[in-house]
Amino acid sequence: MYGATVEPLEDSRADEAKLAAFEARIARGEKIEPGDWMPDEYRRQLIRMISQHAHSEIVGMLPEGAFIARAPSLRRKLILLAKVQDEAGHGQYLYHAAETLGATREAMIEALLSGKAKYSSIFNYPTLSWADMGAIGWLVDGAAILNQSMLAKCSYGPYSRAMIRICAEENFHKRQGQDIVITLATGTPEQKAMMQNSLNRWWPPTLMMFGPHDSDSPNSGVLTRWGIKTKTNDELRQMFINQMVPDLLALGLTIPDPDLRYDEASGNWLVGKIDWDEFWRVVKGDGPCNAERMEARRAAHADGRWVREAMAAYADKYAQDGR
Amino acid sequence: MTDTQWPRFIVFQQEHESAAHQYAGSVHAPDAEMALLNARDVFVRRPACVSLWVVPSAVVFTKTAEEIAANALTGETLLAETSETQTYIVFQKAAHKGAFSYSGKVSAVTPSQALAIAFETFAQRSALAWRVFPEQAVTRSTPEDIEALFQPAAGKAFRDQAFYHTVAAMQQIRKQLQENTADES
Amino acid sequence: MNPDLTAALAAHLLALADDELILGHRDSEWCGHAPILEEDIAFANIALDEIGHGVVWYSLLADLVGEDRETYPNRLVYHRDPADFRCAQIVELSKGDWAFSMLRQYLFDSYEKLHLDWLVNSEYHPVAEAAAKLRPEEIYHLRHTRAWVRRLGLGTEESNQRMQAAIDELWPHALQLFGPLPGDALLVDTCFFPDPAELLEAWQAVVVPYLEDAHLRVPPDEPSGAASRTQHTAHLDLLLRGLQEIARLYPDAGW
Repeated sequence: MYGATVEPLEDSRADEAKLAAFEARIARGEKIEPGDWMPDEYRRQLIRMISQHAHSEIVGMLPEGAFIARAPSLRRKLILLAKVQDEAGHGQYLYHAAETLGATREAMIEALLSGKAKYSSIFNYPTLSWADMGAIGWLVDGAAILNQSMLAKCSYGPYSRAMIRICAEENFHKRQGQDIVITLATGTPEQKAMMQNSLNRWWPPTLMMFGPHDSDSPNSGVLTRWGIKTKTNDELRQMFINQMVPDLLALGLTIPDPDLRYDEASGNWLVGKIDWDEFWRVVKGDGPCNAERMEARRAAHADGRWVREAMAAYADKYAQDGR
Repeated sequence: MTDTQWPRFIVFQQEHESAAHQYAGSVHAPDAEMALLNARDVFVRRPACVSLWVVPSAVVFTKTAEEIAANALTGETLLAETSETQTYIVFQKAAHKGAFSYSGKVSAVTPSQALAIAFETFAQRSALAWRVFPEQAVTRSTPEDIEALFQPAAGKAFRDQAFYHTVAAMQQIRKQLQENTADES
Repeated sequence: MNPDLTAALAAHLLALADDELILGHRDSEWCGHAPILEEDIAFANIALDEIGHGVVWYSLLADLVGEDRETYPNRLVYHRDPADFRCAQIVELSKGDWAFSMLRQYLFDSYEKLHLDWLVNSEYHPVAEAAAKLRPEEIYHLRHTRAWVRRLGLGTEESNQRMQAAIDELWPHALQLFGPLPGDALLVDTCFFPDPAELLEAWQAVVVPYLEDAHLRVPPDEPSGAASRTQHTAHLDLLLRGLQEIARLYPDAGW
């Protein structure tokens, strides 16, 4: 989900014994802490995964942030603002985890704003109605929780601890989203139609959040061996589908998939073909909102420069020892 | 001036009076007062907290058991030498899935010496990793700060998943569906 | 309670609530656009608090006039026309640059803190209770915004200039916060609310030296043209059009 594409591991001949010891530690369920020996590839993979995860949280603030002003009740306004605030907080915890590996915030932000760094493609879809707040909370965050629960067991200490904090807070995101969906699906005919329209648009991209089919995922082997990835894309995707379909159907909503069927033998809900062309187009930057959201982030960063400089200047002049 | 995200401050959080401070993460801030305020918003959106410490990351010395096994502690010094003793605070992580918790204080000339002394006194040699920093580099919240900095976190119940009765709502909906299907048959 | 007192109290509570709600809404516009990630988080907290304060005052108003606490605040916020709002103009103004928003928040926070300091002893117990709950949050806001104001005032030439421009624009509007509302004399007599002139004096005694220490010049006192809270700027029209859009499109829906 967050940068799951992996390059093949290169032979680290000089460190073969260290690598074996490292992999034995992981197999024993030990946590790797900053300062411990780690293969360069492990460090690189983690920095890329963690920073992409952080970028996803930050960019993810924008589609929902647009609706804070228009939330249709005071309670929903407070809840949505608290949720978006949490997302900033999650980005913050994740940038911190990447920093423990030697990455800097300045460099990570530069990579995001220049378009070099990737983030989860789901955040390149537009939010068109209030019902989308329900879909994002229940479906998108619901999908993220499955992935995040897996990452909380990750071998790298700071990432694992950041994920544990995030998982504790993310449940509220999913619940408030579900609350919105239930309210709309059982509300007025217009609200129900709004929710169905939203589900039609968000269901397919949410399934794609789990990444390409296992058969098309190059070499997740090393991620598994290093305790970074413990479930496959398809496994997580199927868990999600089985969780969501019965509840959505019970609410009188239809899943936008004419091939959806329940398989008695496996107990799984099976979905039709996923449109991977659309996925790759959006990942490569061709989604409806890529440009717009990057522009908003660049503007905020540029507009904030004088502020960051002024605060640093005050500290130089008046604060001592960082006080 | 080159653009900056400001320096990092490491944040330690104490959840209850009877608990030890624990390593929480870090914040970027231009100075210690802003770091303390930022730490409150980054780490205390939800209960519980009675105390926050922030320390410039540049003076936090870290060591893992694996690093010490590879290079014994006594051969090391950190940063510029000073011949003055000062108080160092030691945090340690005892278990793999555990947190970094406050362990104790020692007087020493360098952080590595502080750690060596800690091993002889209170720190567990069997622990997995340590963080050591000068006490005078710490900026702390005060007990008077608890009311304004930390207690308000309890006032936003909507940040807690228990606030949402979605489980009960779905049960009710499914029950209704079953009754409807029963009615129809 | 006699009808005149009830009417005066209701008018005052509505003004307090509208101030907080509109200001909190303006503050929330920064979420995702702040100068640094830590402020996306921190200023969102202030926004949440202010909107929450608005809900508290709307709820007291509901209790006073015998309306439902759940639905009345939403009716007031989502279904009133701009002309019927009673906020001061300072909170309507668009968010401007970071200097503008930090200064506006500082001026409001220092006013609200002094106000709440007095209100915890109000003879009208629901207000006293509410003030006691709100005050800790306001103490935190003030600590945050005064730190920003000082640093931006003294930081660089550019930050000082932006802060000065912000004060020049905001100062006349800030004075409107202390303008008496109709019926206020009665509220002062019954010790429900403080004398606005005394509050203004206390506020200036704190704020003026603090700003001057931060190398900022305070303009001479000239209240802005519209002293009455029944007069609003075009900013409020635009703000409410967005805020109320969805609720007004589906007026009989619950959310």
